[in-house]
Amino acid sequence: MNSQHINKIALLGVLALAFALPLVVRSATYLHILVLLFFYAYLTTSWNIVGGFAGVLPLGHAAFVGIGAYTSTVLSLQYGISPWIGMVVGGVLAMIAGIIIGLPTLKMRGAYFALATIAFAEGLRVMVENIDYLGPLKINGPRGLQIPPLETGFSHFMFATKEPYYYIILIMLLLVMLLTYMVSRSKLGYYLVAGGEEPEAAMALGVNVARARLIAMAVSSFLTALAGTFYAQFSLYIHPKSIISLDMSFEIAFIALIGGRGSIVGPILGALLLRPVSDFCRIYFGDSLPGLHLIIFGLVLILVMLYQPRGLQEPISRLYQRIINRPQPATSGS
Amino acid sequence: MLYVLEDTINGILMGSIYGLTAMGLTIIFGVLKVINFAHGSLLMVGMYVSYWAIRLTGVHPYVALILVIPIMFIFGYSLQKIIIRPIFIAEKNVREPVTVIIVTTGIWYILDNLTLLLFGPQYRSLGNNPLQGKMLELGEMFISMPKLYGFVTALVTAAAVHWFMHKTVMGRAIRATSMDREAASLMGIDQYKIYNVAFGIGAATTGIAAVTLIPFYNVFPTVGVLFDIKGFIIVVLGGLGSITGALVGGVIIGLIESVGPQFMTATWTEAIVYGLFLVVLFVKPSGLFGQKHDW
Repeated sequence: MNSQHINKIALLGVLALAFALPLVVRSATYLHILVLLFFYAYLTTSWNIVGGFAGVLPLGHAAFVGIGAYTSTVLSLQYGISPWIGMVVGGVLAMIAGIIIGLPTLKMRGAYFALATIAFAEGLRVMVENIDYLGPLKINGPRGLQIPPLETGFSHFMFATKEPYYYIILIMLLLVMLLTYMVSRSKLGYYLVAGGEEPEAAMALGVNVARARLIAMAVSSFLTALAGTFYAQFSLYIHPKSIISLDMSFEIAFIALIGGRGSIVGPILGALLLRPVSDFCRIYFGDSLPGLHLIIFGLVLILVMLYQPRGLQEPISRLYQRIINRPQPATSGS
Repeated sequence: MLYVLEDTINGILMGSIYGLTAMGLTIIFGVLKVINFAHGSLLMVGMYVSYWAIRLTGVHPYVALILVIPIMFIFGYSLQKIIIRPIFIAEKNVREPVTVIIVTTGIWYILDNLTLLLFGPQYRSLGNNPLQGKMLELGEMFISMPKLYGFVTALVTAAAVHWFMHKTVMGRAIRATSMDREAASLMGIDQYKIYNVAFGIGAATTGIAAVTLIPFYNVFPTVGVLFDIKGFIIVVLGGLGSITGALVGGVIIGLIESVGPQFMTATWTEAIVYGLFLVVLFVKPSGLFGQKHDW
């Protein structure tokens, strides 16, 4: 058996495990944690398209989550439009916002882009908190919007149990991973990596770095907004402080950086490592040691940056390679 | 009309304190070419240090400067030396290492939440102190005394930093490093030591800002975040790396916040500040006093 076969089998095994998990995990709490884990893995994978491959540091992706969540919620509450359609509309709006932000800033050096994205997200949050009615649309300011669970069913994007949400976010995650894989193998992907590592050299070779980054930003903001709709339908309540929060923007970036930006498994690995830490810290130490998980995040982040600047995916995938490539024992008869 | 004048004066006073809080950020950027995301946390640490120093000794708030400045200098110096320097050495060839931004974000999270663990989430105010609630009556206008003190302190600090940078050997070495790292190194300047000192000075000025705030501002673990984002806006507005720019940027923000509510709901002024920031980023990213090559 060669290593390619093992890779395929391992991949299928992980997939089968992911799809079978709800059959084993019956507790609603654990399922909830798993859904949020996949939700963050999805967000981080989307972030990774611009934050990982393009080598810039967006720190305001919660803004796109908010645009997605608010668009589909307002459309479904006021006009009865299915959240699935609202999801796409929100994605397009977020994409436009992403392009407007990226157009002037992606040409600049790293720090400015990071600051611009923070300012955009914070500015958006403050605006949403201050506006009750945007023209005919009710956004309800700081109180947020509640989605009454009236009709369940696929077209309403509303379910009585958590399993359907689990499968929806799992499929969304797999699709966005596939897309990332395709992007990383495409011309755009090579342009992004070239521009991320050596912008001057890439430009000298005729690569339009700013344009490649802008496309990445547009794709990334579109995908991020889709998760916003998912979150709104999953939690049935959105308000600006929770959904357009700086904490969310930073958590997405943390997960990517610790897992390994610019790789496909990095965001998944990061979410698998960090999300349980934050959930369990909140469950067990929420009262006695508030903020413990954020201290752990910060420490891990600094250590990873110091000793594994490409993220934890690197040592782990090296370990995996070593295991599957080790010499076969003669007795196995292969 | 008098109200507008009163608001303008108070806006300038508060704005200069904002400028003082952002001064360290701009000093550190000027030399290291890195945005210190932990800057707000430095301010928070400075505020806790001055809070306890004043609380435990009962001295006039400004006497705490004797303690706060050296403590914050050592704190900033060690932070840079122990945590940030290894990354600079690892990424020698990168002019503006993004990794450093990330690491300072990690420091921000650790400091804020460690403080939350140690001191709890409650708001603490100095309460009874010689500057509390003091007002200066100017005709029919009332000018806040602690803010006036802050205004004077901001100007004195800016002048002192300017003097240090231009008249001392260390200051000249710092400026040389900020202009051209390689050339400075060739002249025998240890650039990493300069980074340590610059970070220390940045933290020390932030400590001064903390002392000016403490007589009238509550201290709590996330107080830095408010000043963090504001600080970013101020330094970009004024021009990253420029000390005058930080003061002017601060005053602009202060004026928007104090005069704005005459014309609109107070919470909207915050949105205007963010809007202004984005406009500056898009139109003139080098800011009012920044050097063009720095962006």
